[in-house]
Amino acid sequence: MNNSFLRVSIWVYLVIFFLYLLGPLVIMSVTAFNSSAFPRMTPWECLTFQWFGELFQDQRILNGIKNSLIIGAGTVVLSVAMGLAGALMLTQIWPKLRATYYTIIIAPILIPGVVLGISTLVFWDRINRMLGLGADSFLSNGIFLTVIGQSTFIASYCMLVLVARLQRYDVALTEAALDLGATHAQAFRKILLPFMRPAIASAAVLAFLASFENYNTTTFTFGEYPTLTIELAQKVRYGITPAISALAFIIVALTVFFALLNEAKLKRQELVAAARKSATVEELAGKVKLPSLFAGNMAAVLLVVFAVATITVVGTATAYNPGQCIANVKEQKRLEAEQRIQELRKQREEQRKKREAEEAEQGGAQQSTPKPSNNSGFGNVFAPNTLGGDAEEESSDTETPPSNNGGFGGVFDPNSLQTDQ
Amino acid sequence: MRFWFRRVNWPRNKGPTMPGFLKEFFNRNGIGMGAAILGLVLFWTIGLIILPQLSMLDFSFRPNLPPPEIGGPKDVYTLENYKYLIYGPEGGSQSYNAVDLRVFFRTLLAAVCVTVFNLILCYPIAYYLGQSKGNHIRIFAIMLIIPYWINEILRAFALRIIFGETGVLNTLFVGLGIWDTPFDFIRNDIALYAGLGYAYILLMIFPMYNVIESLDKNQIEAARDLGAPWWRIHWRVVIPYAKPGISSGCTMVFMLSAGALAAPQILGGPSSLWFTQLIYQQFNDNNDWPQGAAYAIVLLVTCILFVLAMMRLFKVNMGDIGK
Repeated sequence: MNNSFLRVSIWVYLVIFFLYLLGPLVIMSVTAFNSSAFPRMTPWECLTFQWFGELFQDQRILNGIKNSLIIGAGTVVLSVAMGLAGALMLTQIWPKLRATYYTIIIAPILIPGVVLGISTLVFWDRINRMLGLGADSFLSNGIFLTVIGQSTFIASYCMLVLVARLQRYDVALTEAALDLGATHAQAFRKILLPFMRPAIASAAVLAFLASFENYNTTTFTFGEYPTLTIELAQKVRYGITPAISALAFIIVALTVFFALLNEAKLKRQELVAAARKSATVEELAGKVKLPSLFAGNMAAVLLVVFAVATITVVGTATAYNPGQCIANVKEQKRLEAEQRIQELRKQREEQRKKREAEEAEQGGAQQSTPKPSNNSGFGNVFAPNTLGGDAEEESSDTETPPSNNGGFGGVFDPNSLQTDQ
Repeated sequence: MRFWFRRVNWPRNKGPTMPGFLKEFFNRNGIGMGAAILGLVLFWTIGLIILPQLSMLDFSFRPNLPPPEIGGPKDVYTLENYKYLIYGPEGGSQSYNAVDLRVFFRTLLAAVCVTVFNLILCYPIAYYLGQSKGNHIRIFAIMLIIPYWINEILRAFALRIIFGETGVLNTLFVGLGIWDTPFDFIRNDIALYAGLGYAYILLMIFPMYNVIESLDKNQIEAARDLGAPWWRIHWRVVIPYAKPGISSGCTMVFMLSAGALAAPQILGGPSSLWFTQLIYQQFNDNNDWPQGAAYAIVLLVTCILFVLAMMRLFKVNMGDIGK
């Protein structure tokens, strides 16, 4: 009984955990389809695809993607090469140096990215000055600095991935190749590299992703070549729009797609290997009867579902026109705003009446006191409600309820600053 | 290893001054390949890791000068930049730089809190994933990795949508009538802590998972047979075994959250700064590079010392980290 209680609580915990992990991504993706100008899920206004269009017209985002791809390619080449060299060195370095060497090449993972960015910038700036080159030389180029800065720590990741596979390598293979007359370069290219290929592929993917999403280091080194991440950070800091959600949705969808593809491929290989193992000799001589593509392969099924869903969504997007719905929502908002103004007017009217009544009373009681400001030369200008009301009428499209009667329409309200950021 | 001790006939004329291990290295890899490997490794370790750090250290002891005066008579070593962090601007009204120091200690404290929070959150998951078998574990692994592939900025943005004033949580709670007015998660830094914890979950889970996966199930069963309650099994068997994984996870999360820049910029309240944001300001807004470098050095050294002290306290070996 105790056991089953434990089991249930584990599952509850898992659900909460994955909600925390995946919930934000799901919510962010959903907001990309809401027509509200601020990314939000509630209130739901209209299903729209306009944010995707807006995204693809944004020159800065497109330029950022281009820069990110260039920098990513450079980083992949440099850090996989350095990672491989580092891993090879680790397996054969003088044992007394080994611990020190390992600490040095693993350190960049733990050094804060900000520090790496700064040190790269400062160091190459100094080299640049020592060589007497100008400010527009190759060494102070944003792409060069970013590739160098990112490679410093991404090479460590690559090294870890590569060394794990290198440990399973049998040096006798290289030895045999050398004995058979291969040069060292040939042995490396024909024996070691093919063995390392899967690890090199995953190191390259890892390096590209790490480069693509890096912010801390890049923010100091990018110079005149802002990457996608830098552009996104600028956008997010100075006003967020659902166009960012749209981009996020695309990235999430691509990630899920490739993760499923990879998983389906792995599972498929496993199934094929299992089928081969259990096949009889005759079957092996002829053709191995492979299991059908989707049998027992959950990921492949999901992949197909995912692809169909994507096609449906894209299909709807081209045919669907949310114009009517958006117009409706706008009309509704206008009506609401008008109603609010009416209420406000009524309120003000009542207040005025009340005040007049009070004044009349006071006036009756004390003739000598000057009449309150209402009758002064300024009319009602300084009554706070007037200004507030006007501001409200002007900005009847804003969604903030007219709780704020200050003349500045809530500019100084700390909360509004918050949302503007 | 076999290779290591192989007798070699190294030509005499290659220079007897070359140390033995280098000779061995070139013999083993060939001149061309050996030079390529050695060159890349030296470029990486010395050119990218060691020299830039030393250069930054050197830079942090220099005054902030306009470019023509660099290397001139005014370019002397000074402690000014470090003094600034502690005492503030010269002739300032306060005797200590209260603002920056408060930000600094708050950053460290918050990073510790985030680390502890992540550890508590992730330990059960790592244990569950490490000890159970089956197809669903692979699905869980994919679900764990997917958020980590999404851009850091976008993850922070997602939390911003949730924690914002008109965000999902506020709409939900106000709609249910639990709160009357929207709760400001961002101003209270709840969004920031949630975002930092969220960003580094995988880095906490993976090292722990790797270690726990290799734990022999029989040990747990033996403990259970001997009558240990579940918490004691964890306390006496699993946690001591998983200590290297736990410590490397904690180290990574602590270092990364103390050095985080994106999450504080996006999710931090307007009045609360992260120490990295101060560094960023020195570089980009004040254009005072030496000052920024000094702050970066302070952050780096303090974090390393803190991690080393914690490792001493919990008796963890340096060699276990990063495995």
